[in-house]
Amino acid sequence: MKLELQGITKQFPGVLANDRISISVDKGQVLGLLGENGAGKTTLMNILSGLYRPDSGSIRIDGTERTFRDPAQAINAGIGMVHQHFMLVPVFDVTESVVLGSEPTKGPLGSFDRTTARAQVVELSKKHGLHVDPDAKIESLPVGVRQRVEILKALYRKSEILVLDEPSAVLTPQETEELFEIIRGLAKSGTAVIFITHKLNEVIAVADKITVLRRGAVAGETTPAAATAASLAEMMVGREVQLTVSRSKSKVLEPILEVNEMSVLNDAGAIAVDRATFEVRSGEILAIAGVQGNGQTELVEALTGLRPIDSGNVTLESKPFAAGSPREIASAGVAHIPEDRNRDGMVKGMTIAENYILNTYHLPQYSKRGLLDRKAISAATEKAVKDFDVRTPSIDTDIASLSGGNQQKVIVAREFSRNVRLVIAAQPTRGLDVGSIEYIHRRIVEQRDSGAAVLIVSTELDEVLALGDRVAVMYEGRIVGILDAKDATRERVGLLMGGIVA
Amino acid sequence: MSRTKKSSKGREKVSASSVPAGVEAHNAGESAEAHQQQVAARIRAGLFAIFAAVSVSITSGSFGVDGNFAFWSDSIGGEQVFFSVPVALLWGIVSVGFIAITLLQLLRGAKFAWRASIGIIAPALVIALLARLLDGTTANLTVFFTSTLSFAIPVGIGALAGIISERSGILNIAVEGKLLSGAMVGSIASSITGVAIAGPVAGALIGALLSLFLAWLGIRYKVDQIIAGTVINIGALGITSFAYLRILQPYSEYNRPIGIETVDIPLLSHIPILGPIFFSLSPYFYASIGLILFFTYMIYRTRWGLRLRAAGEQPSAAGTVGIDVVRLRYRAMLIAGLLAGFAGSYIALSGTGGFGINTSAGKGFIALAAVIFGAWNPVYAFGAALIFGMTSAATTLLSGLGVSLPPQILLSMPYIVTIIVVAGLIGRVRAPASAGRPYDQG
Repeated sequence: MKLELQGITKQFPGVLANDRISISVDKGQVLGLLGENGAGKTTLMNILSGLYRPDSGSIRIDGTERTFRDPAQAINAGIGMVHQHFMLVPVFDVTESVVLGSEPTKGPLGSFDRTTARAQVVELSKKHGLHVDPDAKIESLPVGVRQRVEILKALYRKSEILVLDEPSAVLTPQETEELFEIIRGLAKSGTAVIFITHKLNEVIAVADKITVLRRGAVAGETTPAAATAASLAEMMVGREVQLTVSRSKSKVLEPILEVNEMSVLNDAGAIAVDRATFEVRSGEILAIAGVQGNGQTELVEALTGLRPIDSGNVTLESKPFAAGSPREIASAGVAHIPEDRNRDGMVKGMTIAENYILNTYHLPQYSKRGLLDRKAISAATEKAVKDFDVRTPSIDTDIASLSGGNQQKVIVAREFSRNVRLVIAAQPTRGLDVGSIEYIHRRIVEQRDSGAAVLIVSTELDEVLALGDRVAVMYEGRIVGILDAKDATRERVGLLMGGIVA
Repeated sequence: MSRTKKSSKGREKVSASSVPAGVEAHNAGESAEAHQQQVAARIRAGLFAIFAAVSVSITSGSFGVDGNFAFWSDSIGGEQVFFSVPVALLWGIVSVGFIAITLLQLLRGAKFAWRASIGIIAPALVIALLARLLDGTTANLTVFFTSTLSFAIPVGIGALAGIISERSGILNIAVEGKLLSGAMVGSIASSITGVAIAGPVAGALIGALLSLFLAWLGIRYKVDQIIAGTVINIGALGITSFAYLRILQPYSEYNRPIGIETVDIPLLSHIPILGPIFFSLSPYFYASIGLILFFTYMIYRTRWGLRLRAAGEQPSAAGTVGIDVVRLRYRAMLIAGLLAGFAGSYIALSGTGGFGINTSAGKGFIALAAVIFGAWNPVYAFGAALIFGMTSAATTLLSGLGVSLPPQILLSMPYIVTIIVVAGLIGRVRAPASAGRPYDQG
């Protein structure tokens, strides 16, 4: 089937999310839809899947105009969505998950015909080479397999237009490559595929044609043959972008952070970090790679005093550190850029200035006898806002009203406002626009160059490879390998991320 | 196992742990769960062992004492059959039972079906306790069993209502309020019309009305479902009490419902001893058993049930495949309301008294305990309702006989066990993941 979207416009209060967007994809074709966070990709897909209705514009399938009032109508029209956050019931098995909503039944009570359903799922997975155990519980499956279940769901509903929203976000590079094989196979058998992503290399690898979105509108169309990563990035951002982080060779000095056989438990009391041993030295960046949920969160929380260390020892500049509260650890010279800035990085509803002094307000420079020195706080914040290029009308603006990039800049400014010996940055650029990513990377490298030790945790392989002087990989709570930058190829790190230790 | 290369400075530490790869190729989340289950299994074994030890000590202290029981042989109020059993024998059986399940629990670990085992041993324990506490007086077991059932019916059906709504994703704290309203409206409807069937029908309708009101607050306005349910409970108690004092007391003809007569099943009801217990009961009992079996099948084996469970676990998964989650939840709440109101009408119509202030006496909350104890499965929940009913019946019996030991201790037992279950100490009960959370449909 051929799908055409023409002049789709969708206005939300204060935001023009989609501005006369037109895209099309043909039978057997893979369309790469590229855009940054906030470019309007998700809104467009929600319109296509019947969750939103456009203010204007039309959706045509094989030339005839269609309107979708709810997801059921979009599904019936042959559109299958694979959402970024999987839409699966954890306690269901694969068969139940695939057929939910279009279950085969028998008898007057509508009894679920499990035998038929299971046979259909088995047949479908054989036909498309999507191997899954039809009886496995969803919660026991790794994410890569859950994604296959999502694709099976779409195929089970006879989707001829398959939309994948950021499908590689949770996959290892190898799993991503498998996904591409599946996509190519589906295209060959006649499915039209829309592949939404912000990763430049992926569209070049898998798409037949590329449409780039910027600020809710189409910024350009091209083909993989005619495009380079740099040209796509420029289209996406609207100006020239430096894709690689320029940095000098590291001048490595003494170890700042030494972690020895550290184990950390998760909330359920199970081992999340399993005898991790590594060190971070002055003047270097150690980047920890790994697929989400392999113990990185617990590792960072333990090193910043937010979670107790179960066993092992940690020293900061040769002083034991395990018993420290977050404040003690911070005043010892540790800067922490938390993984979830909304939860742990700032207090929404408080101003930029208040957020800026969040962990220094008690120091004599900002408060005397329990009273805050407004003047000193304003002066310091004004300077920080200027230094870190935070775009805001005023320092008394609610931090919640800033864009993600500017919020993150306030957090980084706050953390770097102290004398920093160690930077712990977890997912420092998650969800940010390319411009802010560039800026924050530069600031982190500056800290390294001025002699701080830097520990970066990231699930974005590109970020890990761009920044790390050394790359450590976490898998199921263990550090399964530490590589020097020159040995850290995409393939080697990717294999380690999948737990394959050569 | 790889070791990383020495870095240029030669200070690199060995990176990976010394355990061979593959040995620990487990999923971190899975192992956490398995670990918890093992701990829970051990705690259960410990609890069972304590029960076993107590039982043995009671056994050894009961030699030479007899427990005196009676049954109505043909019909209630007719001829009694007396018999007496050595108390030590009963406790001996209980002891052996607890020792057996302690051992099984230790051997089988997390896989042991402890709920079913408790289901088997709990009745024996209650009877043994009863025998021990009788202190020379005679207990009529026919009365004991029928009063167990009369407690278990509203609790079990109330629990079924709770299960259906929570499986769909709406927390149903308001079961108590629906029981109470169902009782009053059922009594009035039956009194005014003089038709027996009008009672349960009217009760079910008022339950449905309250249930839809709760659903409307929770779904349409996203009011916190616990608060909305609490408001309904308090409101129902206030309004029914007011109506009782101002209307039903002065005009008592509105509170003289046609009692729902017990139905004797031909032939079966004449079986000595068993007949009066099982085959000469209120039609409510047979309807309840039917409803529980029917909805258990519906929840686990039909398309409706699959969708219901999906909506309660992960509504977005249901919504994106075209299931109308909002409508599904309203319908589930409608069914839950009908059931709860029906159960409430039983309270007023089964006896002779009609409606009284707070006549449900917390049975709706006990139903919620049965929901949890029964792990959101209607059959298990009814089993829990029966156990609660037995302790209640034993308490009533003992206080009627004037036994010196405070029987309230016995009455509180199942709730203590429920608290332990809720705390997750002796086994994981997993509530529907999205119960209580409003769903935003796009």
